[in-house]
Amino acid sequence: MIDNTSDRPTQEITLTVNGNEITEEVEPRHKLSDFLRYRADSTDVRVGCEHGACGACTVEVDGKNVKSCMLFAVQADGSDVLTSTGLNEDDGLGPIQEAFHENHALQCGFCTSGFIMATKELLEKNPDPDREEIVDGLSDNICRCTGYVNIIKAVEDAADRMDTVSQATGDD
Amino acid sequence: MKSEPFVYHSPVSVEEVVSLMNEHDHAELVAGNQSLAIQMNNRLATPDHLIDLNDVDDLAYLDERDGAIEIGAMTTHNTIAESDVIDRKLPILSEAARQIAGPSVRNVGTLGGGIGEADPAGNYPTVLTALDATITLTSESGDRSVGVDDFFIAYMMTEVGENEMITGATVPTDPFPIGRTGMSFLELKRVSHTWPKLSAAGIVRVDDPTASEPTVEEARLTFANASDTPLRVEAAESAIEGTSLTDDALDEAAGIAMDSADPADEMQAEAEYKEEQVGIFTERALREAYDRALDQ
Repeated sequence: MIDNTSDRPTQEITLTVNGNEITEEVEPRHKLSDFLRYRADSTDVRVGCEHGACGACTVEVDGKNVKSCMLFAVQADGSDVLTSTGLNEDDGLGPIQEAFHENHALQCGFCTSGFIMATKELLEKNPDPDREEIVDGLSDNICRCTGYVNIIKAVEDAADRMDTVSQATGDD
Repeated sequence: MKSEPFVYHSPVSVEEVVSLMNEHDHAELVAGNQSLAIQMNNRLATPDHLIDLNDVDDLAYLDERDGAIEIGAMTTHNTIAESDVIDRKLPILSEAARQIAGPSVRNVGTLGGGIGEADPAGNYPTVLTALDATITLTSESGDRSVGVDDFFIAYMMTEVGENEMITGATVPTDPFPIGRTGMSFLELKRVSHTWPKLSAAGIVRVDDPTASEPTVEEARLTFANASDTPLRVEAAESAIEGTSLTDDALDEAAGIAMDSADPADEMQAEAEYKEEQVGIFTERALREAYDRALDQ
């Protein structure tokens, strides 16, 4: 929880989260992960280990993935933040989310939003990764249920789906 | 866990950072925050003031000069991993940067942070020791340059003084002419987000890569986590210099490196195991560096 009922000093910050601008008072020690869950209502951001080992809290800040428990919210003042919910499309799930759903790439689902963000960055840099590149691209994220096999399948499937989408729309 | 409360500062210039350090006791500088945040979250570090370097644009640079490359302290692992000039002239540095943790850590983690942390298992301290780099430190009284040999003092202890900051590193490129130099950085680790149990940096310059048996003119061999500071084994380097990297020369170098190593026991890797690996990694790193020197 984060609250401002103590007399510790706070600081006003403004972030854009999945397209919504949010201005709040926070203590400097509050993590971006806390801000997203408690102030931006982005409970898709999961806090697993809170010291940078598990990757469950991975979000995109100004176009680059970071572990949001390793960034103080004040450091992200003025930034544009994207969480896994921000990948939804008008009619439902986006291609990465759909690929995870259809390939059973989750069991408990706690790690999934982090894996989806890792997949997004990986496929943006490398639209057609091989297995080894997928493993490296996901190496900041831990899943304790699946054994990763279906997660890797989902990333391959997402790459195919996005390739089909870009061919259909004529993008590169 | 949450860190203890602190006051946050986000200066935009080196001068401002220096004056903030002088103004405040118990201040910490934060670069990529991939190690300090862990320590703060676990309350192993409890600074009263946190001085964030991320808005100091002057510290993120990568300049090719005559005979050297200068790298700013706030240059990220990804920038180093993806730099064409580093890949061409100092490929061991990009190879080392690519092997740090995973992509989201490499997006924000920095050269200066890795040097300042001085973890004996860290990649940059060991590679910069192999490359014989110089670290620039800045304080109120100006800049001073410190060679890597004098910089890493003990386990996670460096030459950085009170109210002094790391602003960059200068890496000489003259000793490593493209076309007859090979470099190799090898890590021993099972899981990408952990520290390696051991790493080896090998550099080999040969006289003529087209000769039937090219001779090693100069070699460098350093290890991470084989001692409490980066370990350079000059006697092992000498053992292969002047040879065409024969098996005998490699064996001799491996034996010398194993004798020089003084690793600490850790979970999943006893000292004895690491010592044995020092011998194996000596051969692998130097062999790969030599093969790369020839294959261009």
